[in-house]
Amino acid sequence: MMKILLAPLDPVHDAGLKLIKRKLEALGYPCVLLPPDITVEEIGEAAIAEKVDMIFVGRTVGYGVEQLFRRVRHVLTVQGVFDKVRVAIGGMAVTDELAKSLGFEAGYGPHTKIEEIHAMIEKNPELARHITHPVKNKPKFPFPHDNTVKNSTTKNLLDEIVDGILDWTADKSSPGVVRAHITESQLQDVKGSVESYTALPFTRDYLAQCDESVVDFFQKNICPPSVRQITQKEVDAYINRIDIAKRNFHPRVLRHGREKPLVFVQYGTGCPMMDGMHIKVAESWGADGVLHFDPAWGARTEGLMDGFLTNAEDGTPVTYANLSLIRRSLDAATLWTVRAHRGLNTPEIAVLSGFLGADMTKINIVYGSICGGTDPARLTVDGVDAIRTATRYNMPFDIPTNEELAGVPPHKAFAGMLIMAQLGRRLGAQPILKPLLCHGPYIMVNELMEQNYVDYNFAKIRALQALADFPIWPGEPIGFMTHTEEKEQSATTTALHAAMCSTLGVDAITTASTDEAFSRGPITADGRVGSLRAMEEAFRFFGETDVAPTKKADEWRDDIIAGINRTLEAVTEAPSFVDALYQGILGDKADGVYPGRAGKNSVVTAPKPKAVGRWDVTPAIVRKKPVLTVKAVTPGVLPARRRR
Amino acid sequence: MTTARDTIVDALDIESFILCESEKEAKELIGKLMQSLGLPRFVIVSLDFNGPGAHFRVRAYMNKPGDNYTWLQ
Repeated sequence: MMKILLAPLDPVHDAGLKLIKRKLEALGYPCVLLPPDITVEEIGEAAIAEKVDMIFVGRTVGYGVEQLFRRVRHVLTVQGVFDKVRVAIGGMAVTDELAKSLGFEAGYGPHTKIEEIHAMIEKNPELARHITHPVKNKPKFPFPHDNTVKNSTTKNLLDEIVDGILDWTADKSSPGVVRAHITESQLQDVKGSVESYTALPFTRDYLAQCDESVVDFFQKNICPPSVRQITQKEVDAYINRIDIAKRNFHPRVLRHGREKPLVFVQYGTGCPMMDGMHIKVAESWGADGVLHFDPAWGARTEGLMDGFLTNAEDGTPVTYANLSLIRRSLDAATLWTVRAHRGLNTPEIAVLSGFLGADMTKINIVYGSICGGTDPARLTVDGVDAIRTATRYNMPFDIPTNEELAGVPPHKAFAGMLIMAQLGRRLGAQPILKPLLCHGPYIMVNELMEQNYVDYNFAKIRALQALADFPIWPGEPIGFMTHTEEKEQSATTTALHAAMCSTLGVDAITTASTDEAFSRGPITADGRVGSLRAMEEAFRFFGETDVAPTKKADEWRDDIIAGINRTLEAVTEAPSFVDALYQGILGDKADGVYPGRAGKNSVVTAPKPKAVGRWDVTPAIVRKKPVLTVKAVTPGVLPARRRR
Repeated sequence: MTTARDTIVDALDIESFILCESEKEAKELIGKLMQSLGLPRFVIVSLDFNGPGAHFRVRAYMNKPGDNYTWLQ
């Protein structure tokens, strides 16, 4: 083995060289560590006396480092050492570029891994490949769970409610369901091809189920006020940018010693290209997954538009082309979720997501009905259909409970979430519970977080864990309403909530950017980096150490469990689940929510679904072959579909 | 030709501590600062005044969602 001389050019010992010595000796290299406060001449003398094969000179202090190492080289050359012995340098202000410009073999700055030094010593880059070219594999998510309700009282109530939902929806359909099946039929015909799908002649059957604004888009090429079509030139330039980002991408893992939680970032800046760039930033700073958020008006409009569209306001329009552009931007290891859950296009978005290979979708009939503005009857029909779609495409779906932000108490929000989870299981899907860790109105009014943010959040998660064994993924985002506009505070509260979630053993978290509380402009890429870096540091700080709540958490956990069962019992006493939503049993006006009106009276009677979960609706009309493909378009946009 | 400014994804944030005697004065000084830097369209993201002055973060958007992005030109 090569003999190595470690020489600290500092008045006191460099901890870095001591560490390198220990690790090199563990690898079998004999090392000689010189004492601190030596002269440059003494390094050369020691190298000759010890007959070493290599010298590693360290200098912690950054001031004057270039002049100092220039002198090191000069002295070692004069001593006849430099030409015979390999010499590398390291220190706080050292870079590989600096080292090589001065004639040294290599230079190492802070955070250098021993594998990199080992690779240099052996002249074998493969020894450090996992450091220099790390690989991140897509996690199998959700992590394994029993997916059962453990509490028998809760289970019996949930089963009764789910039976009622399936009976109630069995003979019902809606414009959203019909559109979803037309879209699915078309996508099957073109095997999911974006170009062919977009070039398909548009069907009267589809337009017959759409609002006027969507009809105007297809027939008159009129976009909503804040929306414009993206040009092909922009798309090409964007893809070039994304490919550059992919070439320079080095995966990063935020967790430190624990497998969970995975970290998700929500996007929806309005523009799929800005989203894509934010996604690349989030991936590069350690995010494991991303979530697509659509605009609020998209949820209240019957029908989806088409082609590459950008929106100057919050929420990125869901179109097959937009989603495909975002999917094109993702790293292979990144988990991708598309929100379908709360509006009039829920079944169709689930279909688009499934065809594009989204890893997950998001469906919550309760939230969408009482907080998302959609009529409860309509969303119950659409939600069940969307869950069937999620099952067919093997997409787990998460169940957000952001109605807490309006003032709904956690036990009611959780009751609704558990109904959705049990409904999902009955339909063969994989539900994921998504409690909100927030300082919401109910918590504020009842002063549940006056002393700390830990106890009540613990109570919420522990209540769910006591009742059932479903995956749990707090969002969106963790720490909602604890952020301020100050970057440091915002990053810190996100990081502390993330550390708490690590203790709670949840499967994943969705995190805010440091712009979470800033409402006078769009979220920035820099804001995403800020939060991710803070979380990485919190995970590093706590490692596998746990955050401990006080005894109050157990008391509140039991209160929440009792409240959930009380709420479920009240739902079973209502004439139907839909009636329970209208009556406000899962959240009422006093809680700050009310039944939505979008899609009211749009539910129609329809044949029962087939065994595979498909409705036996009239198939889409026979279409002409695609008249245009993306390659045939010059210049411009992916064409809006041709009308018939 | 692409300038360094064109490569900013969305916004340029400037954070510093400014000596002043009130929050109002801080806002006026930040406005003058941004004007002098050639960034007249700005928004103050956060501002915390106390004692000797104000800790602030001010933002000038270069590219907003829906724009024709400079980094795609």
